[in-house]
Amino acid sequence: MNDINTDNIKSQMRKGVLEYCILSILNNNDAYASELISQLKDASMIVVEGTLYPLLTRQKNQGLLSYRWEESPQGPPRKYYSITQKGKELLYEMDAAWDEIVQTIALLRKKL
Amino acid sequence: MKKVVNVGIGGRSFVIDEDAYQKLDRYLDRFRERTKMGVQTKDVMEDLEQRIAELFNESLRSEQEVVNLSLVNKVISQLGMPDGAPAEEEFTYNSEPVNPVISKRFYRDPDSKIFGGVCGGLAFYMNVDVVLIRVLLFIAIFMGGIGFWAYIIFWIVAPLAVTAAQKCEMRGLPVTAENLRKYSTYK
Repeated sequence: MNDINTDNIKSQMRKGVLEYCILSILNNNDAYASELISQLKDASMIVVEGTLYPLLTRQKNQGLLSYRWEESPQGPPRKYYSITQKGKELLYEMDAAWDEIVQTIALLRKKL
Repeated sequence: MKKVVNVGIGGRSFVIDEDAYQKLDRYLDRFRERTKMGVQTKDVMEDLEQRIAELFNESLRSEQEVVNLSLVNKVISQLGMPDGAPAEEEFTYNSEPVNPVISKRFYRDPDSKIFGGVCGGLAFYMNVDVVLIRVLLFIAIFMGGIGFWAYIIFWIVAPLAVTAAQKCEMRGLPVTAENLRKYSTYK
């Protein structure tokens, strides 16, 4: 029971920052879905890939991301996502919020 | 030996085992159901299919190789569900073949007809022997005129099962390629 709970909390935390992670990755360079996935997996941010696709579509429709089709060396063209100006603004705000959270946690942990 | 199906996924074509195809098809349906994003679901599915095509391509060594069930299972467990749940557990409940809703309709049967094929059609519809229907009809005709008029009305109202699909529907069989072949007139 205890194990299940900690796992659940961990996955909730990851979910909360997943959108932030996507924006951060795309802020460094444009990427197509598979690149995004491999980066997020390396950072063990996602367990199953399925979560990512609804998020990408939502962010695209919110105007945070845009995409273009690009030829690939093998196979059909790939859908490259890139961050928009609006996305960058949001990312900037999120960066600040993230720093704040980290500081708060650090502060709380020190007190304990 | 296994039946294979040709499918297009994410703009590429694949040859896929029939059982693997069914599993993948159910998975995609499930994913679509659980995405719950209305009109945007189409975009999500497009990205997902692209990814599936990529994963298949990575795993297959040649163009001729067939996508099998174990590869589909691997891909599905890697992709999971839109809410982050692993696909597997909930999936096994649905892995028995889903029986399509079979509609049975009343047609006149051209293959066993004496006059209009009404008795044959009625027999299929009620799942009894055609002889029994005929006996009952004769009794009804001699007991009074009702049987006769009923027969005429059925003859006028009910369509004749001409095509193989109609013959399947008349028998209450699912309209599958196999059943269609069985009742097709071109043999």
